[in-house]
Amino acid sequence: MIAKVLLSIWMTLIIVAAFLYADAAAGFPGETSRILFFHVPQAWVATLSFLLSMIASCIYLARRSLKADNLALSAAELGLLFCLLATVSGSIFAKAAWGSFWNWDPRETSIVILLMIYGAYFALRSAVGDADKRRVFAAVYAILAFVTVPFLVFVVPRITASLHPENTMNPAKPGMDPKTLKVFLGSLLAYTGLFIWILRLRLRLLKLESMQEPEFVVREKIDQEGERQ
Amino acid sequence: MKNGRWITETGSSTYLSEAVAIWLRDLRGEFRTRYAVNAILMFAVTTLIAVSFSIGSFRIGEAEQPFLYAVLLWIILVFSALSGLSRSFVKEEEAGTMDVLKLSARPQAVFLGKLFFNLTLLGALELIIVPSFILLMNYEIELPGFFAAMVIAGGIGLGGGTTIVAAMIAQASARGALFSVLSFPLLLPLMITAIKGCEKAAVGANNPGWPEVRIAVAYSIVMIVMSLFLFPLIWEE
Repeated sequence: MIAKVLLSIWMTLIIVAAFLYADAAAGFPGETSRILFFHVPQAWVATLSFLLSMIASCIYLARRSLKADNLALSAAELGLLFCLLATVSGSIFAKAAWGSFWNWDPRETSIVILLMIYGAYFALRSAVGDADKRRVFAAVYAILAFVTVPFLVFVVPRITASLHPENTMNPAKPGMDPKTLKVFLGSLLAYTGLFIWILRLRLRLLKLESMQEPEFVVREKIDQEGERQ
Repeated sequence: MKNGRWITETGSSTYLSEAVAIWLRDLRGEFRTRYAVNAILMFAVTTLIAVSFSIGSFRIGEAEQPFLYAVLLWIILVFSALSGLSRSFVKEEEAGTMDVLKLSARPQAVFLGKLFFNLTLLGALELIIVPSFILLMNYEIELPGFFAAMVIAGGIGLGGGTTIVAAMIAQASARGALFSVLSFPLLLPLMITAIKGCEKAAVGANNPGWPEVRIAVAYSIVMIVMSLFLFPLIWEE
Protein backbone atom coordinates (compact mmCIF):
# COMPACT_ATOMS: atom_id res chain seq x y z
CA MET A 1 0.00 0.00 0.00
CA ILE A 2 2.72 2.46 1.04
CA ALA A 3 4.82 1.34 -1.91
CA LYS A 4 1.92 2.07 -4.23
CA VAL A 5 1.49 5.61 -2.88
CA LEU A 6 5.24 6.25 -3.01
CA LEU A 7 5.34 4.99 -6.60
CA SER A 8 2.55 7.34 -7.68
CA ILE A 9 4.26 10.33 -6.03
CA TRP A 10 7.61 9.36 -7.58
CA MET A 11 6.05 8.92 -11.03
CA THR A 12 4.37 12.36 -10.77
CA LEU A 13 7.65 13.96 -9.73
CA ILE A 14 9.45 12.35 -12.67
CA ILE A 15 6.85 13.56 -15.17
CA VAL A 16 7.03 17.11 -13.79
CA ALA A 17 10.84 17.02 -13.70
CA ALA A 18 11.04 15.64 -17.24
CA PHE A 19 9.25 18.71 -18.55
CA LEU A 20 10.38 21.45 -16.13
CA TYR A 21 13.63 20.51 -14.38
CA ALA A 22 15.76 18.89 -17.11
CA ASP A 23 16.94 20.99 -20.05
CA ALA A 24 16.22 20.02 -23.62
CA ALA A 25 19.34 18.45 -25.15
CA ALA A 26 21.17 20.37 -27.83
CA GLY A 27 21.12 19.03 -31.36
CA PHE A 28 17.47 18.00 -31.32
CA PRO A 29 14.63 19.96 -32.90
CA GLY A 30 12.71 21.87 -30.23
CA GLU A 31 11.86 19.93 -27.12
CA THR A 32 11.91 16.49 -28.76
CA SER A 33 14.78 15.20 -26.66
CA ARG A 34 12.41 14.93 -23.67
CA ILE A 35 11.17 11.67 -25.22
CA LEU A 36 14.25 10.16 -23.56
CA PHE A 37 12.54 10.16 -20.15
CA PHE A 38 9.60 8.07 -21.39
CA HIS A 39 10.60 6.14 -24.48
CA VAL A 40 13.86 4.63 -23.24
CA PRO A 41 12.41 3.31 -19.94
CA GLN A 42 9.51 1.80 -21.89
CA ALA A 43 11.92 0.01 -24.22
CA TRP A 44 13.98 -1.04 -21.18
CA VAL A 45 10.92 -2.57 -19.48
CA ALA A 46 9.90 -4.32 -22.73
CA THR A 47 13.36 -5.92 -22.91
CA LEU A 48 13.38 -6.71 -19.19
CA SER A 49 10.06 -8.53 -19.41
CA PHE A 50 11.23 -10.48 -22.46
CA LEU A 51 14.23 -11.67 -20.42
CA LEU A 52 12.06 -12.37 -17.36
CA SER A 53 9.60 -14.35 -19.45
CA MET A 54 12.42 -16.48 -20.88
CA ILE A 55 13.90 -17.18 -17.42
CA ALA A 56 10.47 -18.07 -16.00
CA SER A 57 9.92 -20.38 -19.00
CA CYS A 58 13.18 -22.20 -18.23
CA ILE A 59 12.13 -22.56 -14.59
CA TYR A 60 8.75 -23.88 -15.66
CA LEU A 61 10.30 -26.52 -17.91
CA ALA A 62 12.65 -27.62 -15.12
CA ARG A 63 10.18 -27.64 -12.22
CA ARG A 64 6.71 -27.60 -13.84
CA SER A 65 5.49 -25.11 -11.26
CA LEU A 66 2.34 -23.18 -12.10
CA LYS A 67 3.85 -20.06 -10.51
CA ALA A 68 6.67 -19.96 -13.04
CA ASP A 69 4.25 -20.28 -15.95
CA ASN A 70 2.07 -17.51 -14.54
CA LEU A 71 5.16 -15.32 -14.26
CA ALA A 72 6.17 -16.10 -17.85
CA LEU A 73 2.68 -15.30 -19.11
CA SER A 74 2.25 -12.04 -17.20
CA ALA A 75 5.76 -10.87 -18.07
CA ALA A 76 5.02 -11.52 -21.74
CA GLU A 77 1.71 -9.61 -21.50
CA LEU A 78 3.39 -6.62 -19.92
CA GLY A 79 6.25 -6.94 -22.40
CA LEU A 80 3.78 -6.63 -25.27
CA LEU A 81 2.14 -3.60 -23.64
CA PHE A 82 5.42 -1.74 -23.07
CA CYS A 83 6.70 -2.81 -26.46
CA LEU A 84 3.66 -1.16 -28.05
CA LEU A 85 4.16 1.97 -25.93
CA ALA A 86 7.83 2.18 -26.93
CA THR A 87 6.93 1.68 -30.60
CA VAL A 88 4.31 4.42 -30.55
CA SER A 89 6.41 6.92 -28.58
CA GLY A 90 9.44 6.18 -30.75
CA SER A 91 7.38 6.62 -33.88
CA ILE A 92 6.15 10.03 -32.74
CA PHE A 93 9.76 11.06 -32.08
CA ALA A 94 10.75 9.74 -35.51
CA LYS A 95 8.12 11.94 -37.15
CA ALA A 96 9.33 15.02 -35.28
CA ALA A 97 13.06 14.38 -35.67
CA TRP A 98 13.48 12.46 -38.92
CA GLY A 99 10.33 13.45 -40.80
CA SER A 100 8.49 10.14 -41.06
CA PHE A 101 6.65 7.92 -38.63
CA TRP A 102 8.21 4.76 -39.94
CA ASN A 103 11.44 4.27 -41.86
CA TRP A 104 12.74 0.75 -40.95
CA ASP A 105 15.57 2.12 -38.91
CA PRO A 106 17.43 -0.86 -37.33
CA ARG A 107 15.83 -0.04 -33.97
CA GLU A 108 12.41 0.03 -35.55
CA THR A 109 13.11 -3.31 -37.24
CA SER A 110 14.16 -5.00 -34.01
CA ILE A 111 11.16 -3.71 -32.07
CA VAL A 112 8.81 -4.98 -34.79
CA ILE A 113 10.41 -8.41 -34.55
CA LEU A 114 9.93 -8.31 -30.78
CA LEU A 115 6.25 -7.41 -31.32
CA MET A 116 5.89 -10.30 -33.79
CA ILE A 117 7.44 -12.72 -31.31
CA TYR A 118 5.02 -11.62 -28.58
CA GLY A 119 2.10 -11.90 -31.03
CA ALA A 120 3.16 -15.42 -32.02
CA TYR A 121 3.57 -16.37 -28.35
CA PHE A 122 -0.03 -15.45 -27.58
CA ALA A 123 -1.30 -17.05 -30.80
CA LEU A 124 0.37 -20.29 -29.70
CA ARG A 125 -1.08 -20.06 -26.20
CA SER A 126 -4.59 -19.55 -27.53
CA ALA A 127 -4.32 -22.41 -30.05
CA VAL A 128 -3.38 -25.25 -27.69
CA GLY A 129 -6.35 -26.68 -25.82
CA ASP A 130 -4.70 -28.82 -23.18
CA ALA A 131 -3.43 -26.65 -20.29
CA ASP A 132 -0.22 -28.57 -19.55
CA LYS A 133 0.67 -28.79 -23.22
CA ARG A 134 -0.01 -25.09 -23.65
CA ARG A 135 2.38 -24.17 -20.85
CA VAL A 136 5.18 -26.40 -22.14
CA PHE A 137 4.80 -25.23 -25.75
CA ALA A 138 4.72 -21.57 -24.76
CA ALA A 139 7.85 -22.03 -22.63
CA VAL A 140 9.67 -23.81 -25.46
CA TYR A 141 8.70 -21.09 -27.93
CA ALA A 142 9.79 -18.31 -25.56
CA ILE A 143 13.22 -19.92 -25.26
CA LEU A 144 13.55 -20.48 -29.02
CA ALA A 145 12.58 -16.88 -29.74
CA PHE A 146 15.09 -15.61 -27.19
CA VAL A 147 17.87 -17.64 -28.80
CA THR A 148 17.37 -15.93 -32.18
CA VAL A 149 17.71 -12.42 -30.71
CA PRO A 150 21.56 -12.36 -30.63
CA PHE A 151 21.54 -12.98 -34.39
CA LEU A 152 19.54 -9.81 -34.87
CA VAL A 153 22.20 -7.90 -32.97
CA PHE A 154 24.75 -9.07 -35.55
CA VAL A 155 22.48 -8.93 -38.56
CA VAL A 156 20.36 -5.81 -38.26
CA PRO A 157 23.15 -3.23 -37.96
CA ARG A 158 24.48 -4.59 -41.26
CA ILE A 159 21.41 -3.46 -43.19
CA THR A 160 21.65 0.29 -42.79
CA ALA A 161 23.21 2.85 -40.54
CA SER A 162 20.94 3.86 -37.68
CA LEU A 163 19.71 7.37 -37.04
CA HIS A 164 18.82 6.38 -33.51
CA PRO A 165 20.18 9.00 -31.07
CA GLU A 166 22.52 7.07 -28.84
CA ASN A 167 25.77 8.93 -29.09
CA THR A 168 24.36 12.18 -27.82
CA MET A 169 22.09 10.75 -25.17
CA ASN A 170 23.60 7.50 -23.91
CA PRO A 171 24.24 7.86 -20.14
CA ALA A 172 27.32 5.66 -20.31
CA LYS A 173 29.06 8.14 -22.56
CA PRO A 174 29.91 11.72 -21.70
CA GLY A 175 27.41 14.12 -23.19
CA MET A 176 24.39 13.71 -20.95
CA ASP A 177 24.32 16.59 -18.52
CA PRO A 178 23.84 15.82 -14.78
CA LYS A 179 20.27 17.14 -14.62
CA THR A 180 19.16 14.96 -17.54
CA LEU A 181 20.97 11.97 -16.11
CA LYS A 182 19.25 12.39 -12.71
CA VAL A 183 15.77 12.54 -14.23
CA PHE A 184 16.56 9.71 -16.64
CA LEU A 185 17.73 7.33 -13.92
CA GLY A 186 14.74 8.33 -11.78
CA SER A 187 12.46 7.56 -14.70
CA LEU A 188 14.05 4.13 -15.21
CA LEU A 189 13.40 3.44 -11.54
CA ALA A 190 9.80 4.66 -11.80
CA TYR A 191 9.03 2.55 -14.86
CA THR A 192 10.64 -0.54 -13.34
CA GLY A 193 8.56 0.04 -10.18
CA LEU A 194 5.43 0.42 -12.30
CA PHE A 195 6.29 -2.82 -14.09
CA ILE A 196 6.76 -4.73 -10.84
CA TRP A 197 3.51 -3.34 -9.44
CA ILE A 198 1.40 -4.33 -12.48
CA LEU A 199 3.20 -7.68 -12.65
CA ARG A 200 2.25 -8.47 -9.05
CA LEU A 201 -1.38 -7.49 -9.69
CA ARG A 202 -1.48 -9.74 -12.74
CA LEU A 203 0.08 -12.65 -10.84
CA ARG A 204 -2.50 -12.29 -8.07
CA LEU A 205 -5.29 -12.29 -10.64
CA LEU A 206 -3.91 -15.39 -12.36
CA LYS A 207 -3.65 -17.15 -9.00
CA LEU A 208 -7.28 -16.33 -8.19
CA GLU A 209 -8.35 -17.49 -11.66
CA SER A 210 -6.54 -20.80 -11.27
CA MET A 211 -8.41 -21.38 -7.99
CA GLN A 212 -11.63 -21.39 -10.01
CA GLU A 213 -10.41 -24.20 -12.24
CA PRO A 214 -12.06 -27.57 -11.57
CA GLU A 215 -8.78 -29.46 -11.14
CA PHE A 216 -7.71 -27.06 -8.40
CA VAL A 217 -11.06 -27.38 -6.59
CA VAL A 218 -10.84 -31.17 -6.70
CA ARG A 219 -7.26 -31.08 -5.41
CA GLU A 220 -8.29 -28.76 -2.57
CA LYS A 221 -11.11 -31.13 -1.58
CA ILE A 222 -8.76 -34.10 -1.55
CA ASP A 223 -6.32 -32.12 0.60
CA GLN A 224 -9.07 -31.14 3.05
CA GLU A 225 -10.33 -34.72 3.34
CA GLY A 226 -6.78 -35.87 3.92
CA GLU A 227 -6.46 -33.37 6.78
CA ARG A 228 -9.73 -34.55 8.38
CA GLN A 229 -8.58 -38.14 8.40
CA MET B 1 7.16 -48.55 -38.28
CA LYS B 2 10.81 -49.48 -37.76
CA ASN B 3 12.50 -50.66 -40.87
CA GLY B 4 14.12 -54.02 -40.21
CA ARG B 5 17.14 -53.23 -42.33
CA TRP B 6 18.20 -50.39 -40.07
CA ILE B 7 18.18 -52.30 -36.82
CA THR B 8 21.04 -54.61 -36.02
CA GLU B 9 20.56 -58.30 -35.33
CA THR B 10 20.81 -57.85 -31.58
CA GLY B 11 17.89 -55.43 -31.60
CA SER B 12 19.87 -52.45 -30.37
CA SER B 13 19.69 -49.27 -32.41
CA THR B 14 21.56 -46.00 -32.36
CA TYR B 15 20.12 -42.50 -32.57
CA LEU B 16 21.36 -42.23 -36.10
CA SER B 17 19.95 -45.55 -37.30
CA GLU B 18 16.56 -44.65 -35.83
CA ALA B 19 16.68 -41.21 -37.41
CA VAL B 20 17.63 -42.68 -40.78
CA ALA B 21 14.82 -45.23 -40.48
CA ILE B 22 12.28 -42.46 -39.86
CA TRP B 23 13.73 -40.40 -42.68
CA LEU B 24 13.48 -43.30 -45.17
CA ARG B 25 9.97 -44.16 -43.99
CA ASP B 26 8.87 -40.55 -44.52
CA LEU B 27 10.52 -40.47 -47.93
CA ARG B 28 8.71 -43.67 -48.93
CA GLY B 29 5.41 -42.24 -47.72
CA GLU B 30 6.15 -39.06 -49.63
CA PHE B 31 6.83 -41.00 -52.84
CA ARG B 32 3.46 -42.70 -52.47
CA THR B 33 1.34 -39.62 -51.73
CA ARG B 34 3.55 -36.76 -52.97
CA TYR B 35 1.55 -34.50 -50.70
CA ALA B 36 4.30 -32.26 -49.30
CA VAL B 37 6.20 -32.09 -52.58
CA ASN B 38 3.06 -31.09 -54.43
CA ALA B 39 2.09 -28.52 -51.83
CA ILE B 40 5.51 -26.87 -51.55
CA LEU B 41 6.59 -27.10 -55.18
CA MET B 42 3.29 -25.99 -56.67
CA PHE B 43 3.18 -23.08 -54.24
CA ALA B 44 6.75 -22.13 -55.19
CA VAL B 45 6.20 -22.53 -58.93
CA THR B 46 2.97 -20.53 -58.81
CA THR B 47 4.64 -17.71 -56.89
CA LEU B 48 7.66 -17.77 -59.19
CA ILE B 49 5.45 -17.55 -62.28
CA ALA B 50 3.41 -14.74 -60.71
CA VAL B 51 6.60 -12.79 -59.91
CA SER B 52 8.20 -13.44 -63.27
CA PHE B 53 5.02 -12.67 -65.20
CA SER B 54 4.31 -9.40 -63.41
CA ILE B 55 7.89 -8.08 -63.22
CA GLY B 56 9.66 -9.73 -66.14
CA SER B 57 13.40 -9.60 -66.56
CA PHE B 58 13.79 -6.02 -67.77
CA ARG B 59 11.41 -3.99 -65.59
CA ILE B 60 13.85 -3.57 -62.71
CA GLY B 61 16.84 -1.38 -63.47
CA GLU B 62 20.33 -2.86 -63.71
CA ALA B 63 21.54 -1.22 -60.50
CA GLU B 64 18.57 -2.41 -58.43
CA GLN B 65 18.56 -5.98 -59.73
CA PRO B 66 21.02 -7.71 -57.32
CA PHE B 67 19.16 -6.57 -54.21
CA LEU B 68 15.55 -6.79 -55.41
CA TYR B 69 16.03 -10.21 -57.04
CA ALA B 70 17.61 -11.55 -53.83
CA VAL B 71 14.58 -10.26 -51.89
CA LEU B 72 12.12 -11.87 -54.32
CA LEU B 73 14.01 -15.17 -54.37
CA TRP B 74 14.04 -15.45 -50.58
CA ILE B 75 10.41 -14.43 -50.21
CA ILE B 76 9.50 -17.24 -52.63
CA LEU B 77 11.73 -19.78 -50.84
CA VAL B 78 10.70 -18.88 -47.27
CA PHE B 79 6.97 -18.76 -47.89
CA SER B 80 7.00 -21.95 -50.00
CA ALA B 81 8.79 -23.68 -47.14
CA LEU B 82 6.26 -22.28 -44.65
CA SER B 83 3.40 -23.58 -46.79
CA GLY B 84 4.39 -27.22 -46.51
CA LEU B 85 7.11 -28.03 -43.99
CA SER B 86 4.63 -28.49 -41.13
CA ARG B 87 3.36 -31.51 -43.06
CA SER B 88 6.07 -33.76 -41.56
CA PHE B 89 4.41 -33.72 -38.15
CA VAL B 90 0.83 -32.82 -39.07
CA LYS B 91 0.50 -36.02 -41.11
CA GLU B 92 1.42 -38.13 -38.06
CA GLU B 93 -1.27 -36.40 -36.05
CA GLU B 94 -3.87 -36.80 -38.81
CA ALA B 95 -3.07 -40.44 -39.47
CA GLY B 96 -3.04 -41.17 -35.75
CA THR B 97 0.50 -42.57 -35.91
CA MET B 98 1.95 -40.13 -33.36
CA ASP B 99 1.68 -42.54 -30.43
CA VAL B 100 3.28 -45.45 -32.28
CA LEU B 101 6.12 -43.18 -33.33
CA LYS B 102 6.59 -42.13 -29.70
CA LEU B 103 6.91 -45.77 -28.71
CA SER B 104 9.19 -46.88 -31.50
CA ALA B 105 11.96 -44.29 -31.45
CA ARG B 106 13.73 -41.93 -29.08
CA PRO B 107 12.61 -38.28 -29.27
CA GLN B 108 15.92 -36.91 -30.54
CA ALA B 109 15.95 -39.57 -33.27
CA VAL B 110 12.42 -38.58 -34.29
CA PHE B 111 13.49 -34.95 -34.46
CA LEU B 112 16.57 -35.78 -36.54
CA GLY B 113 14.56 -38.02 -38.88
CA LYS B 114 11.99 -35.29 -39.47
CA LEU B 115 14.76 -32.71 -39.87
CA PHE B 116 16.44 -34.86 -42.54
CA PHE B 117 13.10 -35.22 -44.30
CA ASN B 118 12.45 -31.47 -44.23
CA LEU B 119 15.99 -30.78 -45.46
CA THR B 120 15.42 -33.22 -48.32
CA LEU B 121 12.24 -31.36 -49.27
CA LEU B 122 14.03 -28.01 -49.05
CA GLY B 123 16.90 -29.35 -51.16
CA ALA B 124 14.46 -30.43 -53.85
CA LEU B 125 12.69 -27.07 -53.62
CA GLU B 126 15.92 -25.09 -54.02
CA LEU B 127 17.19 -27.36 -56.77
CA ILE B 128 14.13 -26.55 -58.87
CA ILE B 129 13.28 -22.99 -57.85
CA VAL B 130 16.71 -21.33 -57.73
CA PRO B 131 17.85 -22.27 -61.29
CA SER B 132 14.36 -21.49 -62.66
CA PHE B 133 14.42 -18.12 -60.92
CA ILE B 134 17.88 -17.31 -62.29
CA LEU B 135 16.76 -18.25 -65.82
CA LEU B 136 13.35 -16.57 -65.76
CA MET B 137 14.54 -13.35 -64.18
CA ASN B 138 17.86 -13.21 -66.02
CA TYR B 139 19.61 -12.91 -62.66
CA GLU B 140 23.31 -12.30 -63.22
CA ILE B 141 25.53 -13.66 -60.46
CA GLU B 142 29.19 -12.72 -60.24
CA LEU B 143 30.18 -15.20 -57.54
CA PRO B 144 28.31 -18.50 -58.20
CA GLY B 145 30.20 -20.41 -55.48
CA PHE B 146 29.28 -17.93 -52.76
CA PHE B 147 25.71 -17.77 -54.07
CA ALA B 148 25.35 -21.57 -53.95
CA ALA B 149 26.85 -21.73 -50.45
CA MET B 150 24.44 -19.02 -49.28
CA VAL B 151 21.41 -20.81 -50.75
CA ILE B 152 22.44 -24.15 -49.18
CA ALA B 153 23.23 -22.63 -45.76
CA GLY B 154 19.96 -20.68 -45.87
CA GLY B 155 18.07 -23.88 -46.68
CA ILE B 156 19.62 -25.71 -43.72
CA GLY B 157 18.67 -22.77 -41.49
CA LEU B 158 15.09 -22.87 -42.79
CA GLY B 159 14.81 -26.56 -41.91
CA GLY B 160 16.58 -26.20 -38.57
CA GLY B 161 14.42 -23.30 -37.44
CA THR B 162 11.02 -24.69 -38.44
CA THR B 163 11.08 -28.42 -37.64
CA ILE B 164 10.45 -27.99 -33.90
CA VAL B 165 7.71 -25.46 -34.62
CA ALA B 166 6.05 -28.03 -36.88
CA ALA B 167 6.08 -30.52 -34.00
CA MET B 168 4.33 -27.96 -31.77
CA ILE B 169 1.66 -26.80 -34.20
CA ALA B 170 0.79 -30.41 -35.15
CA GLN B 171 -0.71 -30.67 -31.66
CA ALA B 172 -2.51 -27.32 -31.79
CA SER B 173 -5.62 -26.07 -33.56
CA ALA B 174 -5.52 -23.74 -36.62
CA ARG B 175 -2.36 -25.46 -37.83
CA GLY B 176 -1.67 -23.92 -41.22
CA ALA B 177 -1.85 -20.29 -40.19
CA LEU B 178 -0.12 -20.87 -36.87
CA PHE B 179 2.94 -22.45 -38.50
CA SER B 180 3.76 -19.30 -40.47
CA VAL B 181 2.94 -17.00 -37.54
CA LEU B 182 5.28 -18.88 -35.19
CA SER B 183 8.08 -19.57 -37.67
CA PHE B 184 8.41 -16.18 -39.32
CA PRO B 185 9.84 -14.22 -36.34
CA LEU B 186 12.35 -17.02 -35.77
CA LEU B 187 13.37 -17.05 -39.45
CA LEU B 188 13.64 -13.32 -39.95
CA PRO B 189 17.33 -12.95 -38.92
CA LEU B 190 18.20 -15.80 -41.28
CA MET B 191 16.16 -14.33 -44.11
CA ILE B 192 17.78 -10.89 -43.78
CA THR B 193 21.24 -12.52 -43.76
CA ALA B 194 20.48 -14.69 -46.79
CA ILE B 195 19.15 -11.72 -48.78
CA LYS B 196 22.27 -9.73 -47.95
CA GLY B 197 24.50 -12.66 -48.92
CA CYS B 198 22.77 -13.28 -52.25
CA GLU B 199 22.93 -9.58 -53.08
CA LYS B 200 26.68 -9.53 -52.41
CA ALA B 201 27.14 -12.67 -54.56
CA ALA B 202 25.26 -11.08 -57.43
CA VAL B 203 27.21 -7.81 -57.24
CA GLY B 204 30.51 -9.63 -56.84
CA ALA B 205 31.46 -7.62 -53.77
CA ASN B 206 34.80 -8.26 -52.12
CA ASN B 207 33.65 -10.41 -49.24
CA PRO B 208 36.47 -12.24 -47.45
CA GLY B 209 35.42 -15.16 -45.24
CA TRP B 210 31.80 -15.14 -46.42
CA PRO B 211 30.37 -13.72 -43.16
CA GLU B 212 26.74 -14.19 -44.30
CA VAL B 213 27.26 -17.91 -44.87
CA ARG B 214 28.91 -18.17 -41.48
CA ILE B 215 26.00 -16.40 -39.76
CA ALA B 216 23.53 -18.74 -41.49
CA VAL B 217 25.56 -21.81 -40.48
CA ALA B 218 25.83 -20.56 -36.87
CA TYR B 219 22.07 -19.93 -36.85
CA SER B 220 21.39 -23.47 -38.11
CA ILE B 221 23.67 -25.03 -35.49
CA VAL B 222 22.12 -23.01 -32.65
CA MET B 223 18.55 -23.79 -33.71
CA ILE B 224 19.21 -27.51 -34.25
CA VAL B 225 21.04 -27.90 -30.91
CA MET B 226 18.32 -25.97 -29.03
CA SER B 227 15.68 -28.09 -30.77
CA LEU B 228 17.44 -31.30 -29.74
CA PHE B 229 17.32 -30.07 -26.14
CA LEU B 230 13.72 -28.86 -26.22
CA PHE B 231 12.12 -31.44 -28.52
CA PRO B 232 11.80 -34.24 -25.91
CA LEU B 233 9.76 -31.85 -23.73
CA ILE B 234 7.12 -31.19 -26.37
CA TRP B 235 7.23 -34.73 -27.76
CA GLU B 236 6.57 -36.55 -24.51
CA GLU B 237 3.97 -34.07 -23.26
